[in-house]
Amino acid sequence: MKIELLFPEVCGLYGDAQNYEYLKKSLPDAEFIVTDFLSTPYFFEKDPDIICIGSMSEEMQRKVLDKFRPRKDRINELIEKGTVILATGNAAELFCEKIEYITEKKETEGLGVFPLTAKTDLFKRYNGKVLGECDGIEIVGFRAQFSFIYGDNSDCFFLKMIRGDGINKESGFEGMRKNNLMCTTCLGPILPLNPLFTEYIISLAGGSEKAAFREEAMSAYEKRLAEFHDPKVKF
Amino acid sequence: MKKIRFFIALMAAKLARFLLKLLGRNASYLPGEVALKISKDFLGHLKLPETVICVTGTNGKTTVSNLLTSILAKNGYSVTNNSFGSNVQAGVAAALLADSNIFGKSKKDIAVLEVDERSSLLVYPYINPDYLVVNNIMRDSIKRNAHTGFIDYIISSALPEKTKLVLNGDDMITSNLAPQCKNRTYFGLDAEKPEVSEKPFLSDIVYCPECGALLESEYLRYNHIGRMYCPSCGKKSPERDYLCTDVDRENSTFTVSLKGKEHTFNLINDNIVNIFNFTGAIAILSEIGLSVSQIEKGFSQSEIVKSRFDTLKAGKLDVTFIMAKGQNPIACARCFSYAASIQKENKLLLIDIDDLHDNINESESTCWLYDCDYSYLADDSISEIIFTGPRCRDQLLRAVLAGVDKNKIILEPDVSKAVDLIDTEKYKDVIVLYELYRQPDADKMKIQIKNLGEGTK
Repeated sequence: MKIELLFPEVCGLYGDAQNYEYLKKSLPDAEFIVTDFLSTPYFFEKDPDIICIGSMSEEMQRKVLDKFRPRKDRINELIEKGTVILATGNAAELFCEKIEYITEKKETEGLGVFPLTAKTDLFKRYNGKVLGECDGIEIVGFRAQFSFIYGDNSDCFFLKMIRGDGINKESGFEGMRKNNLMCTTCLGPILPLNPLFTEYIISLAGGSEKAAFREEAMSAYEKRLAEFHDPKVKF
Repeated sequence: MKKIRFFIALMAAKLARFLLKLLGRNASYLPGEVALKISKDFLGHLKLPETVICVTGTNGKTTVSNLLTSILAKNGYSVTNNSFGSNVQAGVAAALLADSNIFGKSKKDIAVLEVDERSSLLVYPYINPDYLVVNNIMRDSIKRNAHTGFIDYIISSALPEKTKLVLNGDDMITSNLAPQCKNRTYFGLDAEKPEVSEKPFLSDIVYCPECGALLESEYLRYNHIGRMYCPSCGKKSPERDYLCTDVDRENSTFTVSLKGKEHTFNLINDNIVNIFNFTGAIAILSEIGLSVSQIEKGFSQSEIVKSRFDTLKAGKLDVTFIMAKGQNPIACARCFSYAASIQKENKLLLIDIDDLHDNINESESTCWLYDCDYSYLADDSISEIIFTGPRCRDQLLRAVLAGVDKNKIILEPDVSKAVDLIDTEKYKDVIVLYELYRQPDADKMKIQIKNLGEGTK
């Protein structure tokens, strides 16, 4: 199995880079490719099984899009092929049609995989929790963001929410999904936080390995899951 | 009209302060909040002390503010400060109005104000600081501070051109703040250069802010703190005007070069983060005109407040208490690193760093644990780690993922029972790391450990 981590030096805010470390520990025999921002992504020419990209600054979002936009067709090809692509935090927004930066009075064209618009306001920080369901697996997560995504994702969501907001405060659906492209506004360590989801991702890429430190990860996951289901815990 | 609102605000705030004091309550925030509710530009109407120094940055601002206040007071200056209160806009307002007369005129010589980075836009445009000291800008609370680009943006947008900046020259983000402020000086650390720079666990600046090429480093001390340069456009860390050239841990002194001459000061604490803090404090004190002997006198009589660092002897136990800011991955990692470096062998760490507020009818976001370098806890000198608090299972997972042997780890969700797990037969050296708002836990632990060590339990 080949796994590409994109630009961890600049797209690894909020612990996102540790998803990759968790995969590394879970898949000791896999080949891991780390691509820095100045290099050409491996996926431009070759076929990794899993691609991960995480949270970044707003400036970096624009730069990443400038780099990806000319290879939109290749990205769509990989999505159609069923390559597992995990985009966490505001990396999810790269796949929208457009990102508007309200504070900076800018906007940029996204990859257009989903007919949605992200709007970023640096003076409105949103923090939240996520309890949702993806293909029968309950996912727990955290969000901290300046942006919301607008439009209808009811037929292309990543999570059906059990508790917490969706792509915006009115939505009951979090993130976006097309085949195995999974875009979630959940921050970084979604994999160590969700060992069952980690195993699901591995299975989508053709593996059958168990999540690393499964006992410890399951213990933390089950405790959090119980808390998130508890109505006393604020969302 | 604005002036009238200001006076109403001032009177209301002073009344609020009086009543709070009468009730024996802390008046370091609410009076400021009252004033700002009535008059949004309240800060702009106050007649400030002759010199206003603001201190900001991710880590160390409280230490520097406390130190400046203490040294200035020891040298006969009267000082307004908010070090024991809030560092947001209302806290700044509360501190200033507490020391002002009924016309809003300050009764003090100098204001030393610790300012939360996120409050920059609400504070600097109104009080126009004469000096701003910035220790460092690095990854901080995910919930509040987002990323360093955001913090850079709000500090830089808020500062008036006239403010003189006193900046950490060994931090490429800090040293490039607010280019509109041309009057700037830098401090840094030349002593104890690492022979080999380890690849940092994470760095908040990787590419040149001028040309976007990959930055290289002469050396790095931790994260992005060190000397950097761009091989493409030639941009480099600035020359430092105030430079710590030697640290003598044995004799507890450090040497700083001031205007080309070296002077030795009492080393209050030998954590590298604090050596930067102390050098920054010397820089600003020198900038406002204190003589070397005045600064030396201040350092010789100062100490780190006990709520941040304390030691305790309990029977055979030598216990060190270190405050570690939860939700702040780099500050916490520095504490892990320091804990690994002191008391050389066979030590036990008791770690209580869950965020207090985030765990009351809440479930803390533990994303920050994954930005914090837990590999320091894998140090051979650490024989056992007790993680306590509601998130202890998450701490365990994070630690084993970083390479800590899980057989060394004990979990105790109930903080009040954690001390009972210390084996006094096996361990002589104990280090307790506790979160900023868990000071009451630490105070209780001190009593519990004292009883345990002295066999009175």
